[in-house]
Amino acid sequence: METLAEFSLRRPASVAEATRLLATPGARALAGGTDLVVNLRRGLEKPAMLVDLAGVPELDALSWSDAGCEIGACVTLARLARDARVRKELPVLAQAAQSVAAPTHRSAATLGGNLCLDTRCVYYNQSEGWRRSNGYCLKRGGETCHVAPRGKRCHAAFSGDVAPALLALEAKVELASPAGGRKIPLAELYRDDGATHLALAPGEFILCVLAPRPALGVHTAYRKVRQRGSIDFPLAGVAVALACAHGRLEELRIALTGTNPRPLLLSGTEELLGKQVDESLLARIAKLVQKQTSPVRTTLVQANYRRQVAAVTAQRLVKELSAL
Amino acid sequence: MKTAGSAQPLIDGIEKVTGRARYSADLPAAHALVGEILRSPIAHGEIVRIDTTRARAFPGVHAVITGEDCDVPYGILPIAHNEYPLARGKVRYWGEAVAAVAADDAATARKALELIEVEYRPLPVYTSAQAARAPGAVPLHAEKPGNIEREVSNSFGDVDGGFAAADLVREQRFFYAEVAHAQMEPDCALAEYDPERGRLTMQSVSQVPYYVHLTLSQCLKMDPSAVRVVKPFVGGGFGHRTETLPFEVIAALLARAVGGAVKVELSREQTFVVHRARPETEIRLKIGLRKSGEILAVDAEVVQRGGAYAGYGIVTILYAGALIQALYRVPAVRYRGFRVYANTPPCGPMRGHGSVDMRHAFETLLDTMAEELGLDPFAVRRANLLEAPHRTLNDLQVNSYGLPACLDWVEQASGWQARRKALPRGRGLGMACSHYVSGAAKPVHWTGEPHATVNLRLDFDGSITLLTGAADIGQGSSTLLAMVAAEALGLGLERFRVVAADSALTPKDNGSYSSRVSFMVGNAALAAGKELQRVLTAAAAHRLEAHPSDIECVDERYRVAGTDRSISYQEAVRAALAGTGPVTVTGTYTVPPELQGGKFRGAGVGPSPGFSYAAQAVEVSVDEGTGEVKLEKVWVAHDCGFAINRLAVEGQVQGAVWMGMGQACSERTEFSVEGRPLRANFLDYGMATTMDSPPIEVQIVESRDPNGPYGAKEASEAALAGFLPAFTSAVAQAVGVQAYELPLTPDRLLEAMEKARTWKR
Repeated sequence: METLAEFSLRRPASVAEATRLLATPGARALAGGTDLVVNLRRGLEKPAMLVDLAGVPELDALSWSDAGCEIGACVTLARLARDARVRKELPVLAQAAQSVAAPTHRSAATLGGNLCLDTRCVYYNQSEGWRRSNGYCLKRGGETCHVAPRGKRCHAAFSGDVAPALLALEAKVELASPAGGRKIPLAELYRDDGATHLALAPGEFILCVLAPRPALGVHTAYRKVRQRGSIDFPLAGVAVALACAHGRLEELRIALTGTNPRPLLLSGTEELLGKQVDESLLARIAKLVQKQTSPVRTTLVQANYRRQVAAVTAQRLVKELSAL
Repeated sequence: MKTAGSAQPLIDGIEKVTGRARYSADLPAAHALVGEILRSPIAHGEIVRIDTTRARAFPGVHAVITGEDCDVPYGILPIAHNEYPLARGKVRYWGEAVAAVAADDAATARKALELIEVEYRPLPVYTSAQAARAPGAVPLHAEKPGNIEREVSNSFGDVDGGFAAADLVREQRFFYAEVAHAQMEPDCALAEYDPERGRLTMQSVSQVPYYVHLTLSQCLKMDPSAVRVVKPFVGGGFGHRTETLPFEVIAALLARAVGGAVKVELSREQTFVVHRARPETEIRLKIGLRKSGEILAVDAEVVQRGGAYAGYGIVTILYAGALIQALYRVPAVRYRGFRVYANTPPCGPMRGHGSVDMRHAFETLLDTMAEELGLDPFAVRRANLLEAPHRTLNDLQVNSYGLPACLDWVEQASGWQARRKALPRGRGLGMACSHYVSGAAKPVHWTGEPHATVNLRLDFDGSITLLTGAADIGQGSSTLLAMVAAEALGLGLERFRVVAADSALTPKDNGSYSSRVSFMVGNAALAAGKELQRVLTAAAAHRLEAHPSDIECVDERYRVAGTDRSISYQEAVRAALAGTGPVTVTGTYTVPPELQGGKFRGAGVGPSPGFSYAAQAVEVSVDEGTGEVKLEKVWVAHDCGFAINRLAVEGQVQGAVWMGMGQACSERTEFSVEGRPLRANFLDYGMATTMDSPPIEVQIVESRDPNGPYGAKEASEAALAGFLPAFTSAVAQAVGVQAYELPLTPDRLLEAMEKARTWKR
């Protein structure tokens, strides 16, 4: 039987108190718990203290301004997926939220939790006994990356669905921290290392996300490929924001998840601006995706398949959105 | 008929949907210690030394046991006892139990496990049948050189002559991944030992409480009368729980060691490692056909990676050969089977036991050959239909055969003839047939007793309690048995209570496997119902001063036929109990000797008192960019003889199709080269979700088997196997790629489509 190790549970009522508690060594933020609790049961982490952020009122707010939408870190994915205005103005975000796991997960899972999702790997997401018998791994407790034993880098893949949507929207995140807080582009939240993929200082946590409203004519969408029609993490997830006039691209951002240790905003798309959306452009998009995604054997599904379907999905979304 | 043939919600359904039902893990166990199991970190090796001193001394630990504590090997088949609850001398699969502790709480138990020192001498790990059979491979079991647990070789009819006379002969290789039952409820056992009286009570997730009872008494060297086994609510079995499992014996050993109660709960990963499911299988199949599509000869070779211990292995490898027959007319068949030991968790029976992989191979090869001959898939099946009664070459007796009606309905309902050829590229329609037994005609343990026994108990209040050892594991057996008895007595279903599977109260039953309960225990319930009806009618006749043959029971009144003289049911009960007191009657069922099969070696596996039949069509659309397959619709017709509970039959048939779907599309276990399970969780195992499930239209076909209760046969296994070939055939029609390896996952299909394109270029 897998049972939780002991920890103390704290429920701060304010950002200040949460910040103070999270600065304690061994403290860990808890929001919906849909990912964290599973990992705790497997002994992947053994935090001495869980800081439940559900009682901090600011974190549960969702508001609109001229600049766009400000979404508290503890807003649930179910609410994001359901919110009429989010669906209308930020469809990519609503679609990404809707695609996470299954309804019961989404009713508890939060925006901040999904952005801070731990990276995943077949050698990591296993029981304590399993990992021990394998000598643990580079990500936690061991010396070797079993995916690439000669390397010194962890290849565990980031698998959150919402991050690419927000990257395509050029969102920023506001962080609370003992040092006073800061606002950074979402991309800067991540590092290209599966073992330490979050660039958060001790005690830092996400307060809210600022998602700018896309300019008129920009269409957005998210789609993922997974093993089953529900529950699963993405084998590859693609978010696209695109504007097109007279068949020519005016704006294009493509972000991916599930293929690398961090969510990835595709570079080189600016070279495609002004081009006609045709087969040759779609082929160039496929090439960009194939080149920049680097899925490796972190899943039991073949890595090459993940790369292929990432490219196909990006092509399809570009084609569909440019036809709107 | 009023009750039999109606659609009844399960009589224990309310407890389940309201959450009141208590499964093993929910049983009150505040007094119980926590049992935890130390598992082998390697898949093959000798145990050099175990030191439990520190664990024993740890505060809060009440018992530590190892292989030293049980020297009685067990196994479901009397001829293949080679498993110990805790490994002795050697471990043979990753996660095999090596030691166990009982402690005050889970944290203490886990700490104690870490204090147990085990030294292993590693041996080479074989995770494929091929590696385990290779020359020079270390035998897992000393008495089985070459790691062959059982080699089967038999031949019926003139096989070579058949191939020589055939117009078309084709041969093909197939490969099937191992799959697991993936039942909802993880494994759990609660054992309580009464040290003053020397008695043991076991409550566990079993499908076979009687076999658990036998094994516990053997392994613990206790008189069987000192053991009581109770089955609480069980959250699915599908064959996972069809034999005594290591954790059950461990829980009992711990309970005795502490002289009290111990609860052992397994995690999902550990439940996967218990396994006992469908083995990784390689098949070579050759079929010879006439131009008309008539089958002339079949030659098959099967290799199963059976895992580390015997379990049901011999039965599985025999079923794979035996059930080549009894679906179509097969005039000549040669079969070779190899059951191989390997360093993976032991395999066992799983829904459609032994028949599923072979059925995919057979139907697929038949389909592709039919296409070569220009025959429609339905036509080639119709060219090979049986006529009941029919005795196959291997002595399987078919007494009812609804396959023709199944085929007709599926062809019509799916719009096969009009639609199939008209479907656009990317969309396909495939079909296949399958069959299964209604219980094995020979029980695992031969005792000379009837195959099934049911008691009906009638007391002053007029309620009737049906006592059965049959384990309701969600399949609805308790409901079915009550319905059969109610029908036999002409009474309302609400008069009945069912007490099932408590060895202190209920008559012994072999258990819920091989779809034996509806047919065999159903017949026993029918016999018991008739006997109680005789008692009540005789009592009523006595009160009404009439002859029993003149008494009729209508709307719970016993009447002298053709008169207005009658008494109520309650009056009849009083009359029946006068003089004798409360009445208990017994009904039994024994499979007639002529249905128990032939005399050749291995003839005991395959025979059944009734064979069920199914045909189905599957429609798919294939995404050629991602290899994803959408299941559009399934039409399935199942010949269950007679549907005693139509609602349950429909649900069981859908469940069978759905389970076949999992194996065809996504489910598989997998092991690292070191033998570690890679998919021992519900994320990676790949069981379909609601979103992946197609509408399944079920047609019940009733062929009225002469030996089944009211003509009934099994209803929950036959439709499984047909899904796999119908699915791969539909995909082949949609995109021109025929799968010979399952599961056909999107990545595999995409790769296959690319290869096909490259080849064309």
